[in-house]
Amino acid sequence: MLKTIIKKEVLENVFSYRFPLFALICVVLIPLGIAVNNLAFNKRVKDYSEQVRLANEAASTIQMQDVMAGTVTIKGFRRPSVLSVFTQGFESALPRFYEFSQQGYKQGESSSGDESILSVQGRIDFVFLIQMVISLIGLLFASDVIAGEKEAGTLRAMLSNSLPRDKVLIGKIAGGYLALWVPFGVAFLIGIILLGLGSFPLFGGDIPARILIVFLTASVFMLIYFTMGAMVSASASKARTSLVAILLIWAFLQLIIPKLTDMLAAIVHPVRTETEVSLEKSLLAKSLDTETAKELGRQYDLIFGAGREGTANDPESPESKKWEGVKNEIEQRARERKSQQVGKIEETYEQQKRRYQNLAVNLSLVSPSSAFARLIADVCGTGELERTQYIEAVRAHQKALDNELFSKVKRTAMIHPDGKTSLSFSAMPVDIQNLPKFSITATPLADAMKENWQSLVSLAFWLIAPFAVAYVQFLKYDVR
Amino acid sequence: MENQKPLLRAEDLSKRYEDGVLALDHINLEVRAGEVYCLLGANGAGKTTTINLFLNFIPPTTGTCYINGIDVTKDPLEAKKYVSFVSENVMLYGNFTARQNLDFFAKLGGKRDLDKEAYYQVMRRVSLQEKAFEQRVKNFSKGMRQKLGISIAIIKDAPAVLLDEPTAGLDPKAAEEFLEILAELRGEGKAILMSTHDIFRAKEIGDRVGIMKEGRLVMERSREELQYEDLVKIYIDYMKSEPLTA
Repeated sequence: MLKTIIKKEVLENVFSYRFPLFALICVVLIPLGIAVNNLAFNKRVKDYSEQVRLANEAASTIQMQDVMAGTVTIKGFRRPSVLSVFTQGFESALPRFYEFSQQGYKQGESSSGDESILSVQGRIDFVFLIQMVISLIGLLFASDVIAGEKEAGTLRAMLSNSLPRDKVLIGKIAGGYLALWVPFGVAFLIGIILLGLGSFPLFGGDIPARILIVFLTASVFMLIYFTMGAMVSASASKARTSLVAILLIWAFLQLIIPKLTDMLAAIVHPVRTETEVSLEKSLLAKSLDTETAKELGRQYDLIFGAGREGTANDPESPESKKWEGVKNEIEQRARERKSQQVGKIEETYEQQKRRYQNLAVNLSLVSPSSAFARLIADVCGTGELERTQYIEAVRAHQKALDNELFSKVKRTAMIHPDGKTSLSFSAMPVDIQNLPKFSITATPLADAMKENWQSLVSLAFWLIAPFAVAYVQFLKYDVR
Repeated sequence: MENQKPLLRAEDLSKRYEDGVLALDHINLEVRAGEVYCLLGANGAGKTTTINLFLNFIPPTTGTCYINGIDVTKDPLEAKKYVSFVSENVMLYGNFTARQNLDFFAKLGGKRDLDKEAYYQVMRRVSLQEKAFEQRVKNFSKGMRQKLGISIAIIKDAPAVLLDEPTAGLDPKAAEEFLEILAELRGEGKAILMSTHDIFRAKEIGDRVGIMKEGRLVMERSREELQYEDLVKIYIDYMKSEPLTA
């Protein structure tokens, strides 16, 4: 019985004028979106390789005097994410590189600067197509799945038979969904074949598993919207009423909630800009450095007094030995103080950011669209997890460079009570050729799924709740 | 016939809708095998509500319906195995051919192993043109749709048939053909309950005729009784009489 209803639903959809249109949209747009993004990815990889080569060349020519002069900056580049062919996520927004120096790290420009003005409207990638185009078509297909039959009276004819209503509902949803899913599946397959024909590492590492998850999640997302459409359709008596309600629901879930939640989170937990924080840190560092330089100058004058030129140049003199001890103590204290105070600014900023991001993410998960986009972006390595991994890799690299390079050069600045300034350097040997290499550890697939449990819960909710409502509505429907 | 167990039976059947309208008021009726029962009445008299209750499309407020002795409210799925339904505007899937529609509804009616020829035979029996068998039904005339509707009822081969104003909007020839098919079904021993506005055809085909007014079955006559009475006059008198609830 169920098979008969499913078959009838599939055939009815296939015979409708909407089906070839939908199939065409799928077969053209999905492979095109994947192929175009693959071209953009290849371009970014080419740029990345060239820039890394140039940066390595520059690093190999670093001289110690450049380090002592504080003019050395080392660049660490982020390799474009392979699976950005499916979703851009933060791919274009993330800095292509970070610059590391004695003063700390600074972000370079993002790759979005290379893109055309059209990208402001949102790039057409696989996730965008599923979120904006396929979801809407799914809803439209479902809008008359029940209301249309109520209106046409065919539901009366069907239910005059010995037919359990739950089977009718399940059969209608399954059949209608199948009619959508097949062209989508074919289109996805064409997209994958196109990737395989290019230089895409289709079978590299866990890429097949990630692609499978992308496909399955997109399939579930389509089912969610189809079931949601069926829910509205089961509640409405006319297909037109159902259609209007469906369009409103779509606009609310797709366009309003994701934007509104971000704005709400920004109001509840305002966050300062990165530039503001960076400026505050640099002002504080400068002020602390000045204080330290003044303290060093004062102590220096106290130890060496008026005859400082002579005894200061003799490292074996008792004044020089005393000075060395005092200097080390002041510098150690200054380093600790600086690290503590700058760390506090960073910590406060991170806390603010975390609170804002957590709220924005949790609120946005009200929309299945946000849950879907977040999950796919993390699976494809272009999401929040990648951003976090990137910044953690940057911090770790800065620390490694501090240990291996920047801390090998001691730079002592002094401001004497009479206003005169002096600067001295000391350096330890550094193996320039074997400096640590910048790398980002990719989030394992299992971790990406684990981190996205809220998205998975949201998707499960949106899958079950509309079906439950449709079920209740359809079961209690009085056929007239 | 009198000694037979009724295949369709309404017992103290009432229906009051949520908006308070009393659509059906304690109806009792029976239809036996090989009998055509015509329910006559104006719009809103409760004819379609009676059929809807037999099909368990809506729950009754009081009473119950029995199909082949099975309480429709208690076991609707079992009860519906023994009944076919043809509505005023036969509802079909426009993008399907006549055969595909027949195939779908036959399968829903439990007939799973029929071949193409079996469908063709039924469509020939109701005089549907051969060329229409594999045509999409969206361009069918009302008469053709009605023929296909009765084909669906025939192919299900249920002992009881419910018809909701099946001749409304049909031209005289098509209506006459339709009645011929009904007469055949009666000859096969089907119990047929038909709601209609058409007094003349009710008199022609009905073994018993009931007149409904404001949800009540106000009169019932057998074919024999109607030989000596003027059904048209009785019907018009009832329609003109004072409202029952006044």
